[in-house]
Amino acid sequence: MGHHKASVIERIAEKIGLIPDLHQAEEAPLNRLTEPGDLTKFPPPEQWDDWVEYEATAWPKKEKKHYSIVPTTCFNCESACGLTAYIDKEKGEIRKLEGNPYHPGSRGRNCAKGPATINQITDPDRILYPMKRTGARGEGKWERVTWDAALDDIAARIRKAIQEKRNNEVVYHVGRPGHEGYMDRILKSWGVDGHNSHTNICSSGARFGYNIWYGYDRPSPDHSEAKFILLISAHLESGHYFNPHAQRIIEGKMKGAKLATMDPRLSNTASMSDYWLPTYPGSEAAVLLAMAKVILDEGLYNRPFLENWTNWQEFLENMHPDIPVTFDNYILKMREAYAEFTPEYAAKESGANPEMIVEVARQIGAAGERFATHNWRSAASGNLGGWAVSRCLHFLVVLMGAVGAKGGTSPNSWNKFKPTFFDNPPGPKFWNELHFPDEYPLAFFEMSFLLPHFLKEKRGRMEVYFTRVFNPVWTYPDGFSWIEALSDESMVGLHCALTPTWNETAFFADYVLPMGHSAERHDINSYATHSGTWIAFRQPVLREFARKQGKEFTFTYEVNPGEVWEEDEFWIELSWRIDPDGELGIRKHFISPYRPGEKINIDEYYQFIFEHTKGLPEAAAKEGLTALEYMRKYGAYEVEKHGYKKHEKLLSDADLKDSTVDPKSQIIRKDGKDIGVMIQGVAHVGFPTPSRKNEFYSQTMVDWKWPEYAIPAYVKSHIHPESLQKEKGEYVLVPTFRLPTLIHSRSGNAKWLTEISNRNPIWMHPQIANRFGFKTGDLVKVNTDIGYFIDKVWVTEGMAPDVVACSHHLGRWRRPQDKVGNRWATNTVQISNDGKGGWKMSTLSGIRPFESTDKDSKRIFWSDGGVHQNITHAVHPDPISGMHCWHQRVRIEVPQPNDKYGDIFVDTKRSFENYREWLNMTRPAPGPDGLRRPLWFNRPLRPQTELYYLDKKEE
Amino acid sequence: MEALFFREDGIVDFNKNRCIGCKSCMQACPYDALYIDPDTHTAAKCNYCAHRVDVGLEPACVNVCPEHAIISGDMDDPDTEIAQLLSRQQVKVRKPEKGTVPNLFYIDADDASLNPSLTEKSNSYFWNSQERGVGHYAKQAEKMAFTNPDVVQAVIQASGVQGTTVEPEGAKSIDVLLGKPRRIYDSPDKGILWGWEVSAYVFTKAISAGAFLIPFLGWAFGLARPDAPTFFWALGLGLLFLGMTGLLLVKDLDRPDRFLNVLFRPQWKSWLVRGGYTITAYGGLIVLLGLINWFGWFGLEAPVMWLTALVGVMVAIYTAFLFAQAKGRDFWQSPTLAVHMLVHSFMAGSAAFLILNLLIPQSWDWTALLQRVLMIGIGINLFTMLMEMTMTHPTVDAKRVVHMILEGRYRNQFWVGTVLIGNVIPVTLLIFAQDNPLLWALAAVLVLVGIYVTEKIWVEAPQRIPLS
Repeated sequence: MGHHKASVIERIAEKIGLIPDLHQAEEAPLNRLTEPGDLTKFPPPEQWDDWVEYEATAWPKKEKKHYSIVPTTCFNCESACGLTAYIDKEKGEIRKLEGNPYHPGSRGRNCAKGPATINQITDPDRILYPMKRTGARGEGKWERVTWDAALDDIAARIRKAIQEKRNNEVVYHVGRPGHEGYMDRILKSWGVDGHNSHTNICSSGARFGYNIWYGYDRPSPDHSEAKFILLISAHLESGHYFNPHAQRIIEGKMKGAKLATMDPRLSNTASMSDYWLPTYPGSEAAVLLAMAKVILDEGLYNRPFLENWTNWQEFLENMHPDIPVTFDNYILKMREAYAEFTPEYAAKESGANPEMIVEVARQIGAAGERFATHNWRSAASGNLGGWAVSRCLHFLVVLMGAVGAKGGTSPNSWNKFKPTFFDNPPGPKFWNELHFPDEYPLAFFEMSFLLPHFLKEKRGRMEVYFTRVFNPVWTYPDGFSWIEALSDESMVGLHCALTPTWNETAFFADYVLPMGHSAERHDINSYATHSGTWIAFRQPVLREFARKQGKEFTFTYEVNPGEVWEEDEFWIELSWRIDPDGELGIRKHFISPYRPGEKINIDEYYQFIFEHTKGLPEAAAKEGLTALEYMRKYGAYEVEKHGYKKHEKLLSDADLKDSTVDPKSQIIRKDGKDIGVMIQGVAHVGFPTPSRKNEFYSQTMVDWKWPEYAIPAYVKSHIHPESLQKEKGEYVLVPTFRLPTLIHSRSGNAKWLTEISNRNPIWMHPQIANRFGFKTGDLVKVNTDIGYFIDKVWVTEGMAPDVVACSHHLGRWRRPQDKVGNRWATNTVQISNDGKGGWKMSTLSGIRPFESTDKDSKRIFWSDGGVHQNITHAVHPDPISGMHCWHQRVRIEVPQPNDKYGDIFVDTKRSFENYREWLNMTRPAPGPDGLRRPLWFNRPLRPQTELYYLDKKEE
Repeated sequence: MEALFFREDGIVDFNKNRCIGCKSCMQACPYDALYIDPDTHTAAKCNYCAHRVDVGLEPACVNVCPEHAIISGDMDDPDTEIAQLLSRQQVKVRKPEKGTVPNLFYIDADDASLNPSLTEKSNSYFWNSQERGVGHYAKQAEKMAFTNPDVVQAVIQASGVQGTTVEPEGAKSIDVLLGKPRRIYDSPDKGILWGWEVSAYVFTKAISAGAFLIPFLGWAFGLARPDAPTFFWALGLGLLFLGMTGLLLVKDLDRPDRFLNVLFRPQWKSWLVRGGYTITAYGGLIVLLGLINWFGWFGLEAPVMWLTALVGVMVAIYTAFLFAQAKGRDFWQSPTLAVHMLVHSFMAGSAAFLILNLLIPQSWDWTALLQRVLMIGIGINLFTMLMEMTMTHPTVDAKRVVHMILEGRYRNQFWVGTVLIGNVIPVTLLIFAQDNPLLWALAAVLVLVGIYVTEKIWVEAPQRIPLS
């Protein structure tokens, strides 16, 4: 301890052994990376193979610790930020995770969820070996099995289903996809329409609103270059791409951008905003249209963009055939269409300040093209007609000509990398009506949250059902209906939960197959975090470490803890076993491009992609590396620094060879496909819409029986005040707000995150609290359409009046028979069922300390695990986008004395009836030409085009 | 123990290998920056990532922050980002009145988030809660990990871990209506760091010091001398309670195994060290006095008596200086604290002899002296407390403690325990029952109870003020 000079007393006492000698000589100190007084951020990559630093826990003793630093990416939300794993070279274990400075999205920085990955890796409750159920499904009895036995069993069932043409009975249901096409390729190779996802409980509302405009389903705001930023919801602290966006929003703000936020909740984002519009849920579109009106009335719009890049001629011809098709008439008719959206009207609908609405509109007008906006879930996923919110938000972007502009808002696909695969199987020759039923022809993604109801209606069954990063029993609305469906072997033949950790859905599986955490498996990621494009490499870091150490291994599970696989290898092995002789035509899609006739391995799979990534092989060669080696070393590659206005890209002579131009629409066609559009006589690529432009007027909406929504419109939500009986205590529950440190069940098993956030009281404005006499901490009974839950009250003015809210990451549970499973965050609950659809859940105990390999587990200082609210939610499928409309009409009530905190009741018969009511709002297929779905609407795992037609029978 | 130190580059670093877990640093830091690491049972703090800085890396918090909201660097170099921000922006610091000249600056900070007295603490916030102790209390929580949670609750409440909530839960929603700021998130409460061991040690120390100071008073001023057996009893009592004091002191340490560090790795400015040496010297002198009296070395008696008395007074009062070093606790900064402790010593000493008198009857003039001292002691004690409670306290935190004692959660303990049982009833008994040794002894017991209750209040109450 170099700093300390021992006194005489101390020296004598140490000498004669009364006290330990703390004054032994120390080794030579480490070399500094910088001059004294100067500091740098990260160890330089040339030292990553043997990075030496001082051990923090030994400090101030300067104990040297050797690490191997291996980059990977985070999985604790969808941003896929860069991480670097510090692998203790002596122990061969991951010690900690820090940022990766070479990741263009996160730039070395992380939110709390990134470093907390280490908790998940060392979690005493994680699953280390494949498990098979022994008792009844859901009984909680398990035995360890071998991977071989599990793979053979599952493969045989899939093989049989495919042989018997029951291809639609094989389903992979994923919460967070990632994998950039990996699973699509697998499922296509099997020839099954078996992709189901979480998107219709997440973002498909917003996606629909964007897609109907410009053929891209998400925005990519260029926050750092913006002059005005408009956010629907809390993107600064918790939204999609939280960390990368937060960096750039603040960067923009520091450069002078103004920030406006629409959110009924005073979130951290709202509190950092220049303008907070605490809009009543579902009124956002009205406010946005009022802003559009100001921009139109005051002539603040971008005329060249509107003239060239919106389909105004089509609008006038179809909606106003009696007047000349002139730009002035376009503006005139738009102004007429939105005349009713005065600031006063918007204020009445939303509760926002009318002057602020006008001021924000003028600020947008002043920002011009430098107008960045964002909406992902939030309002678009909360409300009936929520898709209108993103449609009206994009309307403002269009009016300003900010589409794709610097400091504006680009389509996300412009900033997202598309990998090139070694083999591309054709789309399936099946259409799975459990996923895309006729009632929802425009549904932007699979109607995944209606699956239990579809199964109950016998629309189909599933022979093999994989769930991956997917916990519908807990995350989805109406979880008891999921329990009913998952427990019924006539509906689900075999349920395989691919998960690193126990969760409420895995309790109802037949196989629980442990997959690696983010630092324990392969994947590639690319997300629209800003105006550039990047690709990042998630890699199992211990595999890379083993490779560097010269250790022999074939599969990642050999270097992971226990027998934890990675799904990339799992799917190759499974596919290989489904088709042992190649007769099904599956094996041929898994042959190595480098070793003819042999099974591909995972290194080769990524090697091929990286070798075909624009610019990457060249960048690698400069450092004397192959493309794969480069990605292993740096973990990320910037494909494009900035990319703006890609719709203005000119078509080359080669592109135009043998093409034709439609004289009326000016669309350029080649080989039966639209490839561009003539603008002012010049051939541009344009947008992937029928008009190749931004579609103010949507013929698609008209064709598919929704003419009232031909142009951006305000749709009154199912929780509009007119639909609530306030005198009976009815209010809207906003159940969707995120916390900065948690993410659904994915961030589970991270003690540091649970320590920060562990309960979810009901946020309530004092007006409502006073009406019922509630004080903070009181119990409240929240009645939904299908049941109720008992939670505690948190009185706050940080919530718009007439709105109650509850964060949705908490209320995790396990049952007494589930011995382990995220004990950091789970209440122990008792579930009972009257056999007639009545389900009750009550809390037996809150979170309790426990003895484990982790010293902290016995120091758990919290016991309140919150309340599981989603399970009491009725399904609300939007008849157009198919999005589950999350906001709930709830009746607030003072609980009875026998109501206990955490009590839950649901009647699944009522939830089924409720599903049928919402189903009645649909306008089913067929559309024009007997289509199930507009041809220009993409869908995951797009089947062969002929399957888009209803009369086309499956093989 | 010199565990906490300034490095040459200005970083306040910590050497856990020297730490004995006395928690004085936690009481002294007005920012609540220190905590007990439950793995090592020693104090710990942010040290600006000294282990990173020494190899040339930024502190981890600076590196990781998505919003680049934490800026570090050399404030003296005008080219650095931090120097430029400091010169351009209006900045605030936490508790400037503490004179710590902090180097952590906040831009656009809200007072409610810098000043802990503007918001109340709670056990449950809008997305987290606390049911059990952390840091110093983690060891207790661990032992109770597998018991009935209700029992755990009760024990924790009793140990004061959750006690820093000043107002009941219901009041907080009223705060919202009044537009008062409220805490919505907080790190777990560390609890009352100096618990019963500390109030008990102040109590035993008072008896130990008084056991000698009373006979000394009689001897020095020729008032009344205890007989020889009583004098040996006095020395015995002094030694016994001194031993108990030592044991309690060690017990209070989170690293009791390192108690020798107090003497052998001394930090001379610390009153814990000075006190440790004082106690040791006092013990030695009492033994010496015993030997002098036993062997009849009376030539030495007078100087040793005087020296012992001097050290005895120090034993009685040094804790006041120790508390005064707890700069985070405003109430302990009171100048009357030393007087209060000295008076308690005289009261405790005379009370101890009056109880002893029941077993070993003592001379009339000696017991009369004891009663007189006790009555005068009570008088001065009441006057000191009156001073302490009524003088204008310079800070909000000290005022809040006075309020807690007189009208808040300690009002029953204070008015009943301290004032009535500890002072008013004993003085009444002594006045009206002058020749009944049983009543004298009863008065003495009540005085001792009163002293313990008072010390408990004086030790505990200031620690209920949140420092951050």
